[in-house]
Amino acid sequence: MKQRSAISAYPVLAILALLVLVPMLSLVTISGSAGDDSAFWQSTYLRRVVSFSLWQAFLSTLLSVGFALIVARAFFQLGEFPFRNLLLRLFGIPLVVPAVVAVLGVVTVYGSQGWMPLGRDLYGLNGILLAHLFFNLPLAVRLLLPAWLSIPRQHWQLGEQLRFNQWQKWKHLEWPALAENLPGVILLIFMLCLTSFAVVLTLGGGPKSTTLEVAIYQSLRFDFDPARAVILALLQFSLCVLVALLSLRFQKLPEVEITQSTQVIAQRDKSRWLNASIVITAAIFVIMPMLAMFMDAFSGPILSVLGKSDLWQSAAYSLIIGLSAAALSVSAAWLLLRTSSDLAFANKKRAASTIELAGQVVYVVPPLVIGTGLFVLIAPRFDVFDWAIPIVILINAMMALPFAIRTLGPPMRQNKARYQRLCQSLDISGWHRFRIVDWPILRKPVGLATALATALAMGDLGVIALFGTPETTTLPLYLYHQLGAYLMSEAAVTAAFLLCFCLSVFWLLEKLIGGHSDVTY
Amino acid sequence: MFQLVSRITLAAICLLFSFHTFAQKPVLTIYTYDSFTSDWGPGPQVKTAFEKQCDCELKLVGLEDGVSLLSRLKLEGKNSRADLVLGIDTNLTADARATGLFEEHGLSAGNTTLSERWNDDLFLPYDYGYFAFVYNQELLSNPPTSLKQLVEDADAPKILIQDPRTSTPGLGLMLWVKKVYGDKAAEAWQKLAPRIVTVSKGWSEAYGLFLKGEAPMVLSYTTSPAYHLIAEEDQRFAAAEFSEGHYQQIEVAGLIASSEQKPLARKFLSFMMSETFQRIIPTTNWMYPAALDASKLPEGFNTLIKPANALLFSDEDVARNRKRWVNEWLEALAQ
Repeated sequence: MKQRSAISAYPVLAILALLVLVPMLSLVTISGSAGDDSAFWQSTYLRRVVSFSLWQAFLSTLLSVGFALIVARAFFQLGEFPFRNLLLRLFGIPLVVPAVVAVLGVVTVYGSQGWMPLGRDLYGLNGILLAHLFFNLPLAVRLLLPAWLSIPRQHWQLGEQLRFNQWQKWKHLEWPALAENLPGVILLIFMLCLTSFAVVLTLGGGPKSTTLEVAIYQSLRFDFDPARAVILALLQFSLCVLVALLSLRFQKLPEVEITQSTQVIAQRDKSRWLNASIVITAAIFVIMPMLAMFMDAFSGPILSVLGKSDLWQSAAYSLIIGLSAAALSVSAAWLLLRTSSDLAFANKKRAASTIELAGQVVYVVPPLVIGTGLFVLIAPRFDVFDWAIPIVILINAMMALPFAIRTLGPPMRQNKARYQRLCQSLDISGWHRFRIVDWPILRKPVGLATALATALAMGDLGVIALFGTPETTTLPLYLYHQLGAYLMSEAAVTAAFLLCFCLSVFWLLEKLIGGHSDVTY
Repeated sequence: MFQLVSRITLAAICLLFSFHTFAQKPVLTIYTYDSFTSDWGPGPQVKTAFEKQCDCELKLVGLEDGVSLLSRLKLEGKNSRADLVLGIDTNLTADARATGLFEEHGLSAGNTTLSERWNDDLFLPYDYGYFAFVYNQELLSNPPTSLKQLVEDADAPKILIQDPRTSTPGLGLMLWVKKVYGDKAAEAWQKLAPRIVTVSKGWSEAYGLFLKGEAPMVLSYTTSPAYHLIAEEDQRFAAAEFSEGHYQQIEVAGLIASSEQKPLARKFLSFMMSETFQRIIPTTNWMYPAALDASKLPEGFNTLIKPANALLFSDEDVARNRKRWVNEWLEALAQ
């Protein structure tokens, strides 16, 4: 029986394309007199910026994903252990930390007065890689771990019977499960590192460490050259598309068909101590900068900061923005993935991956460019202050989309692979299918995706400052205001509050939407 | 259920419109930077004080910084909702003038306490400051006494600075070095390079790193120690006085030509030059008020260094050369 795949992805992709292109066009149109820019495009400066952006993003991705494979494998092989779920939840947090706070945290640990001083070696590529590892290693672990958990128990038993050694297990059991997800994860981390700005500039030690994102900011702000900003943004975008295409080429398509549900099984062998020490090392690495942030907060004026009504008001705004952005983002991801999982089921895996990657690459279009472009469109016609919050939500939803796709994609495909035929033979479809089959299985990843997207949007400074809405402050903006007013110790308290707030919202959403289950992805 | 939803929607719509329709008082909209409007900035006090005497509503819109103020104006053009812009500095006034969006303020700037006589028809200064390297006196006993010493003495202390492409103090230092070294600025930067620990995106990052002990000196303002002294009762911090003089930053306000509230806007400008406004500035914006007698400054400001020589390029010079000088800076440091 030939089934047509869902078409829900195409309207979403069309809207995304419009959201990227229309603001860019509107920016180009206001540029007016395009000065002679040929010198800039041929300058060694631009070449240096492009090659540095790519080089640091490549190294950061390589290290983050490489270590994450080792750590996620150790996590899997250890099975259940005390604090496992708490640890994994903490691993979801670094991404939410505003860049300045993360830099200060990293410096508290590795700075010249730090706990493990690296001295001046910190500033330069080392510092950039350290900070990017701190942000992305835990994320990659969380995104990769489900791949291991999806390997059927029978495969392991078969592996045992065939007396597979570690290498054979990796090659025949683990790699096929990973291969489908790896390109998406690599692309996501690569995009995160490529667009890194404040971290790269501050820990990079000087203008040698300039990324394209800096050049875009400079063009739009100090030089007020919107056309140049748009072209640079397009350049960054094409670089990412290139990486996406490359990663697709190297994608080995698994031949394994997943048939049975699985459960965590501990691999009880001699490597248990090795795995434990890998997990502990990773945990220390991730927790140390966060601990530093909390220690700064504890020595700060906790009560007076928490007593301010403005703090709570901005927390409320952040929560509203976060939840709305997450709802939008997860819905969009769901619609995209319906199509891609249908395509994957019909064995058109390349087409499926292309749709997912297309949904992901919007991340590299700088929010500043989209926000400014939308501003140009809206300002002459409407009161921009009424539009600020919806636009902030929209942009945050776009920026959270790749995370939603990465967390929801693999389980949605598996779900399709496992139950599509059964549903067809029992003639279950539409709402019934959603209620009886899809939701019970997918609510957990949906919970995770929603939690992640909410936390991301809540921690993001975003474009709210672009609109300058009076009386609306988000929590990260409030934090930046404190930092700008010499209130470093107050800011430390706010940062810790932001982290706790994000962590609780994360936990609550995962529980509420995801329901109870013993396995944390 | 449906009824409840529709009622809430109706209530929300009414509320939304009530703000627009029933606001009887005229509204004066000022675009400024967000450290001005934040809780800790001058904004809240300025709003209360002005609303007491104007029978109007003061709407302060806080944007990221002076640069984003200017780009916001360029984006909005003639449709700008601003009546006034407050917070661009003299590095940007030539650009701002060129937009043609401003109108003459028509006020006398006779009472300013700036070192030079102020004669700009479009912009009025409300405060000013000097860039300086701030250090902790307990950790650094003999700071350099001149920019030349900082640049040329290989044993001079390490520093944290900001990027002129993204930050106002960063641009200030670049101009400072240019003022002192002229054509030899690039060489000066190369000499200084080994002692620059890092170049941050904005002021906050560099200052935060400085307080974490990453370098003994940070680029900030001569007034920074006053914050620690007055707000934190911490006497350890000081600004190093350089014999060549210090680069100056003057912050100004200007009237938008398309404003429909010009009389009110002019009223605000003269309020801005009055003692009430000027007295709010020192301990909220941590700058020198531009029209307040030194004797009226809060206690603690008398302990600050007072540069003998204020260095400043004309706004046209900056507008004409900024891109070239930034590129020169980039080339010097990127090698």
